[in-house]
Amino acid sequence: MFLASRNFCCRGIKLRTDLLSRSIKHSTSATMPFRHKNTRRIEGLDSNVWVEFTKVAADPSIVNLGQGLPDISPPSYVKEELAKVAAVDRLNQYTRGFGHPSLVKALSQVYEKVCGRKIDPLTDILVTVGAYGSLFSTIQALIEEGDEVIIIEPFYDCYEPMVKMAGAKPVFIPLRCKKDGNSASSADWVLDPAELANKFNSKTKAIILNTPHNPIGKVFTLEELQVIADLCIKHDTLCISDEVYEWLVYKGNKHIKIATLPGMWERTVTIGSAGKTYSVTGWKLGWSIGPEHLIKHLQVVHQNTLYTCPTPLQEALAQAFWTDYKRMDDPECYFYSLSRELESKRDRMAQLLKGAGLKPVIPDGGYFMIVDVSTLNVDLSDVDEKLPYDYKFVKWMIASKKLSAIPLSAFCALETKKHFEKYIRFCFIKKDSTLDAAEVILKNWNKQ
Amino acid sequence: FFFHSLQAKMSRPVQARRLEGVDKNIWVEFVKLAATYSKVNLGQGFPDFPAPDFLREALMGALSGGNHMLHQYTRAFGHPPLVKVLAQFFEKLLGRDLDPMTNVMVTVGAYQALFCCFQALVDEGDEVIIIEPFFDCYEPMVKMAGGTPVFVPLRPNPPKDGKLMSSADWQLDPAELASKFSERTKAIVLNSPNNPLGKVFSRGELGLIAELCVKHDVLCISDEVYEWLVYDGKQHIRIASLQGMWERTVIIGSAGKTFSATGWKVGWVVGPDRLLQHLRTVHQNSVYHCATIAQEAVAQGFQRELMLYGKPESYFVQLPKELQQKRDWLVQSLDGVGMKPIIPEGTYFLVADISPFKSDVPDVPNSDEPYDSRFAKWMVKNKGLAAIPLSAFYSEAHKNNYTNFIRFCFAKEEATLKAASDILQKWKQEKTS
Repeated sequence: MFLASRNFCCRGIKLRTDLLSRSIKHSTSATMPFRHKNTRRIEGLDSNVWVEFTKVAADPSIVNLGQGLPDISPPSYVKEELAKVAAVDRLNQYTRGFGHPSLVKALSQVYEKVCGRKIDPLTDILVTVGAYGSLFSTIQALIEEGDEVIIIEPFYDCYEPMVKMAGAKPVFIPLRCKKDGNSASSADWVLDPAELANKFNSKTKAIILNTPHNPIGKVFTLEELQVIADLCIKHDTLCISDEVYEWLVYKGNKHIKIATLPGMWERTVTIGSAGKTYSVTGWKLGWSIGPEHLIKHLQVVHQNTLYTCPTPLQEALAQAFWTDYKRMDDPECYFYSLSRELESKRDRMAQLLKGAGLKPVIPDGGYFMIVDVSTLNVDLSDVDEKLPYDYKFVKWMIASKKLSAIPLSAFCALETKKHFEKYIRFCFIKKDSTLDAAEVILKNWNKQ
Repeated sequence: FFFHSLQAKMSRPVQARRLEGVDKNIWVEFVKLAATYSKVNLGQGFPDFPAPDFLREALMGALSGGNHMLHQYTRAFGHPPLVKVLAQFFEKLLGRDLDPMTNVMVTVGAYQALFCCFQALVDEGDEVIIIEPFFDCYEPMVKMAGGTPVFVPLRPNPPKDGKLMSSADWQLDPAELASKFSERTKAIVLNSPNNPLGKVFSRGELGLIAELCVKHDVLCISDEVYEWLVYDGKQHIRIASLQGMWERTVIIGSAGKTFSATGWKVGWVVGPDRLLQHLRTVHQNSVYHCATIAQEAVAQGFQRELMLYGKPESYFVQLPKELQQKRDWLVQSLDGVGMKPIIPEGTYFLVADISPFKSDVPDVPNSDEPYDSRFAKWMVKNKGLAAIPLSAFYSEAHKNNYTNFIRFCFAKEEATLKAASDILQKWKQEKTS
């Protein structure tokens, strides 16, 4: 293809008049096959479930319980900090690349307290554009062609394309419902230890852990983390621990950081998110915390990708963290008060769903809830055959009930979609009026 | 068997091979030095004067407006008000219709826009032409994408009458440039106005580059972050407006440079959908969204500028006017003490020949470090004046091509520039006494 166009070019250039060469330039650009395709690293990574579903959600007549963004207000002191910062001149200019000094200092204090170990703000922390940016920096820094990366299904959808973009092979292992398909709680979903052990081999560079888990809301127990840790140590594997929902754990549950288990600090990168911690997803600030010998490579990626994160947002976040650091032993600390607020929304949501004949899986953490919709027996066999049931169900629900959710198979690899297609995911970090509107729809569900 | 495979894993470095050779970064070192020693910092490129009032008011307005959804995710490829106004603006400038959804994408600073370009378009084995001296990140970004940087220099042709050089006197040799294009050439990176020299490429020079791009079917990554900072009535010409170039060019811009707010990290790309679609793929798999509220405020800034376009109150008219005065002031100060500045046609940087001051920093034969780097470090430690050595903007092989130049940033308050002048005067006096 390219050769043919080159010949065309050469023939054109032999002719001398300006006019002719100009018209040939025009026609070569019109007829020359466009050779500038995407690079190999992004081959097949162009589609994205959110692009489709967020378009739908933009319709204001639809009650949106799909995408994970709060429609509640961030706490007022957080907004005030940003307003204060906006007035300070020098905070409109570049700050330290790897993280604004006051922010990394605040993060190190908070996490020292949580982890019970010294964390150096300059070498053990990298501030990134959201936890998304931390996942990207970690994977680009430490994963390459020839590596395998274990991903637990269902998974936050970006893990798979990011691993592929790094040239590595994702290896999937599903959470399985131990109650024979009759799940009432996120704790029913577990990994089979023997199955997990079989996924590890000499090529396994890392395992991605997400706890509390999106979409199921599972909070991995100490025993479950120990199983993973033992395998990581045995096979000298890294652990990428996505803990963005770390503060959102409900009564009877405790968030445990796998990095605090013996032998794990040196091989774990733990990822956090301001968006989830302070209900400010639009600030797009996240962080990676870990040992210097791993974080330094993330810093190299960062300095070659975007260099610095926005200054004013980092300063405001630092101030918010200081406020809550000082009251970490007080139940009024936002880390705990948000969790209490969400627990009652969780419970309300669960009740409404049950009332409509649906079967929710009560999450132990996070702000998502998966729901078994097969009980309703909605016949969608006449709709597009190729789509999994849950996609069809969500589309039908949006059109006929004006309520949106996300199909669970969006969080699964191709082979596993069938196992999860009776579930859809609802987000419940929504203000009361949104939940009221959802209530109306769910109460009237069977009347239509 | 198990032990051996574990051994093999442990003996391999933990980091990915794509990080090979891209770990060093001049800014980490020089920013630290400036923070420790400098009394006057003309090094890193950021203004020490405030961002314009209307921009800060836009942010305050967004915060107090009661729309708390501005604290949540916006559209991943760019906040709708921002991409809309960028499309409107660039439609005017390029003379063509633009779709805000497909011809514009917002990035985390121009830096991330550059990253998206290389990751989306440069594969292993591709060659990318980089014009020296260059903004230092181009080289490691090309390498991280598996590409091979191919360098071509701007060469100084000093005026015969002994007058100060202008950045216009640094030029590409057409034959030399043409020789750099091969079958493997994927793209050329153009930076006009150019950092560090301040060169504003003329229509003729751009035409030369464009012709070669079209002839060899090569893409153009056009870093135009300093597009508004052109002096002496010169015009910034967008290469994408030249014949045959729109379909093969990605234009990069920066709110940080446009609105003197480098810490906001809002940038953008403008280009044809068939190139931008690939940048969108990289973006959605790397950062996905950019901060909403900063985009909202920048959108309002652009809406103001759209209304005031070409008028004397336009920031895009006032800022270059103000900076031109600062440029002239610094040129005078440097010339007055015997440093020979190259007068920049654009940007807020200038490069000066520090030869008369070399005696303070003796040459160290067989040193790994380029002379100008040692000089700049000595200067910040001993004189408290921070600047960046020109070798920072050259490839490894060419770092010693020029030993006497350092780059100064003049986007500074009068007081800062005066303080710099005082240091230089005192230094000169010490030398003559």
